[in-house]
Amino acid sequence: MTTTAALSNTLFNVAFGLYLVAMIAAFFRLAFTRVRADGVQASTTAGQRVGLVGTALVGAGFLVHLGSVVTRAMAAGRVPWGNMYEYGSAIALVVVGAALVLVQRRYPHLMGFIIAGALLMMTTSLLLFTEAGPLVPALESYWLQIHVSAMMFSSSVFIIAFVATALYLVKDRAERKVAMSTAFGGSTVGAAQVTAPPAGESDIVGRVAGDDLEEAEFASPTAQRDALNPLLFPVIPFVVVLTFVLLVWRAPLAAMIAASAVALIGSGVWYAIPHLPPAAKLDNLAYRTTAFAFPLITFGIMCGAIWAEEAWGRYWGWDPKETGSFVTWTLYAAYLHSRSTHGWRGRRAAWVGVVAFAALMITYYAVNLFVVGLHSYAGV
Amino acid sequence: MTDTLPPQADLPDGSAAASRPPGPRLPLIPGPIETAGLLWRRLRRMSTALMLLFGLSVATLLATFIPQEPVIASTVRLWRDGTEGPGETVARVFDALSLFDVFGSWWFAALTVLLFVSLTGCLIPRWRAFARNVRRPAARGGNLGRLTHHVTFDRPDGDDAAVLDRVDRVFRLYRTQRVTSRGGQAQLAVERGHWRELGSLVFHTSFYLLLIGVTLGAAFSFTGQIDIVEGRSFADTPLGYQSQTAGRLWDTDRHDARVTTIEDFEVTYLDGDNSFVADEFVSTVTFTPTDGGEPVTREIRVNHPTHFEGLTYYQRAFGFAPRITLRSGLDGGELYSTNLILRTDANGLWTARDKISQGSSDPDRPLPQIGIEVFFLPDAEFGPDGGIVFNSPEPNDPRLLVTIYSADDLGLDRPVPVSQLSWPQSAIIDQAMITPGQSVPFASGLFQVEMDTDIAMWTGLQVSHQPYRWLLLTAASLTLMGLVPSLYAYRRRLWVEVHDDHVVLAGVAQHRKSQFVEEFDTLTGRVGDALGTRPRPAPVASPTQTSTPRQTPGSPA
Repeated sequence: MTTTAALSNTLFNVAFGLYLVAMIAAFFRLAFTRVRADGVQASTTAGQRVGLVGTALVGAGFLVHLGSVVTRAMAAGRVPWGNMYEYGSAIALVVVGAALVLVQRRYPHLMGFIIAGALLMMTTSLLLFTEAGPLVPALESYWLQIHVSAMMFSSSVFIIAFVATALYLVKDRAERKVAMSTAFGGSTVGAAQVTAPPAGESDIVGRVAGDDLEEAEFASPTAQRDALNPLLFPVIPFVVVLTFVLLVWRAPLAAMIAASAVALIGSGVWYAIPHLPPAAKLDNLAYRTTAFAFPLITFGIMCGAIWAEEAWGRYWGWDPKETGSFVTWTLYAAYLHSRSTHGWRGRRAAWVGVVAFAALMITYYAVNLFVVGLHSYAGV
Repeated sequence: MTDTLPPQADLPDGSAAASRPPGPRLPLIPGPIETAGLLWRRLRRMSTALMLLFGLSVATLLATFIPQEPVIASTVRLWRDGTEGPGETVARVFDALSLFDVFGSWWFAALTVLLFVSLTGCLIPRWRAFARNVRRPAARGGNLGRLTHHVTFDRPDGDDAAVLDRVDRVFRLYRTQRVTSRGGQAQLAVERGHWRELGSLVFHTSFYLLLIGVTLGAAFSFTGQIDIVEGRSFADTPLGYQSQTAGRLWDTDRHDARVTTIEDFEVTYLDGDNSFVADEFVSTVTFTPTDGGEPVTREIRVNHPTHFEGLTYYQRAFGFAPRITLRSGLDGGELYSTNLILRTDANGLWTARDKISQGSSDPDRPLPQIGIEVFFLPDAEFGPDGGIVFNSPEPNDPRLLVTIYSADDLGLDRPVPVSQLSWPQSAIIDQAMITPGQSVPFASGLFQVEMDTDIAMWTGLQVSHQPYRWLLLTAASLTLMGLVPSLYAYRRRLWVEVHDDHVVLAGVAQHRKSQFVEEFDTLTGRVGDALGTRPRPAPVASPTQTSTPRQTPGSPA
């Protein structure tokens, strides 16, 4: 291993540490920010300082990470996304970069969750670590640079979109629950009436609920937190990640560590419910990021087809990876469509977005690692 | 796709039925025309299109994890045998549902057709509406004061037309029209953003082009594979390839019997830790046209196919092809001589199997079948534990382990490639390690086996003719060109209305409402500059006019 490659690995680890501290700082700031009843947020002095330090750390982490990717490129003598380790690292870099540009200023409280996503990506990268080296001849093409770059950038933006979608689903649920309990004075008997309003009174019930929706934003913000079961937040991500890592890597220890980390982040989400931007804003962020990434992934798939034509003599052969990217593309197209369909807007569309992201992750990890095809990363 | 509201069905209300006058009642079971109409309306609905998209994703997801026969037939065979995968019974169920060939199955085709029918049902009215709307100039607006975005300016001097002349410049890039409002005021109607609909229409319509390109391309395509030893030639004839697939409309007369000669094959390997990874492999070939033209010599590399007179040549695979000769031990006569095409097996060893004699089942003169199996070690030695240690992928120290099999039935007369047969240990008649140039006696001198000193290579080429790819490229470019405006452009309409003592600027956006807020702010400033007046502060009295309506979650903004 050359010194440049060693430097790249060191920088990667430093960036990982910086992001970790920055993520903790972001959550710390959250804890020291009080949401007033009118929705205005005020941080204590300590919270503000920690927030500033956190932002600086993310910036520093980004620069160090960039250094790691650049030195890796120098060590390997090619674009630094030729295997799964490099690809994951580059995705995390773009996620942080895009978040710094798009999210940092407008929605500072989302940063912690986005960095968490980047850290997860880097962790899986480390599990798939490969020494810097050249590529097999089939991968030596300028189409590689275009195809893989487009796929990488779109995947990164899809990660941000997913964070926004998942948080939207949580915030939306909280807002609805609060609106409902305000409308009926918190009585469960009243809530039951929503599902079965007495005949002839549906108009009145509907209007009352509608008016109170307006006020829901101004109802006690911590009520939103109390409206949701705090146990579900760590448990669901824990189970999902545990299953996924066990299935993909069959490493119980790594699975436990990753699942515990995600469980902590899940609890963070629960705590952050009042701090999150209103559901409509989160939904809008999810849509805008998806609308940015979707043309990019379309372009990436097209470049992939052109590359396949040059390397393998056919533009589309239903290779598992091609099939997987087709699924992902279809599901994201369905997400965009469902947002303009009656009865699908809002939560249902968001769930389509979640499923589409799951397809993206399956196409990336599971297909690369398990299914034999031309895209297999032999020896990873 | 637009959103089509579900048809407002009459509620099956008991009272309505009771009050219906007696007479011919609607049939309970809809007739064929009603059914077709109902299905058509259903198919046109966006939610149906969404369901079809989900169906397509689920089908494709299955195809990702279940091996597909056209892609890896060998794995599918193992799944059917039950040696791999979930077992024989499940494989039979998969077969019944054609899950081993999802993309060739009838239900996948049906899904695609339905999706296209649904798309057509959506697109035709939309294209017509678009053609209508885009020709129609911006329309007049009423009740401007009730629009979400509206602002009032002091009226500058001059008549109505002069006032509107001032703001004309602001809306240079918009479609405008001077109209008179219902109340009789002079109005400038402004519109922009038809790009969104056009983009969306182009995006969706490009899929027809894609479908046509794929279908035509598949129908007229030809792909042939050939593995050939350097120095040899092959002719472009229908039987000239080892395996081939041709589209239904491929014209076999297009094979012009041109001769392709493999002049040379070179492979270079990487250095250091990756010394077993091929860096580059190049075939140098000469094409001899049949029309008496000059032979042309070209190089074919990975990622760099060569085009020659309508056919494209791809570098696909390569390997060793040592020449093995079997001579009779009695008179030295040549019994068998060939360049064996060696391929790597699961353990990374170069191996091949071939038929030497098919034998004879003639009861008078029965002869056993004879087969040869070889393992080739380019540069390797046996480690202390009996394992093989590879030194280099290059043939620096070539050795060949030759095994001769003989039995009454080695399966050589079966229509199965010899490489897929397996022969029993009991059929081995002799085995020996030979080096180039060496002649080794086999079976107590019954045969002599030799290997040539020069270790030849073979190269695997793919030859294909894939027409109509320009259609696909056009479709792909249209898809992208339509996609971007359909997501980013947005339709909005604005009006400038001149009243006796004030001028009103009002506007409304159909999509991306948050984006329009910024645009309206900018336009307010520019209209104010053009008029030379400041906007009046918004009236406080009526909250319904000033408060921005609360955005519902999920509204496309």
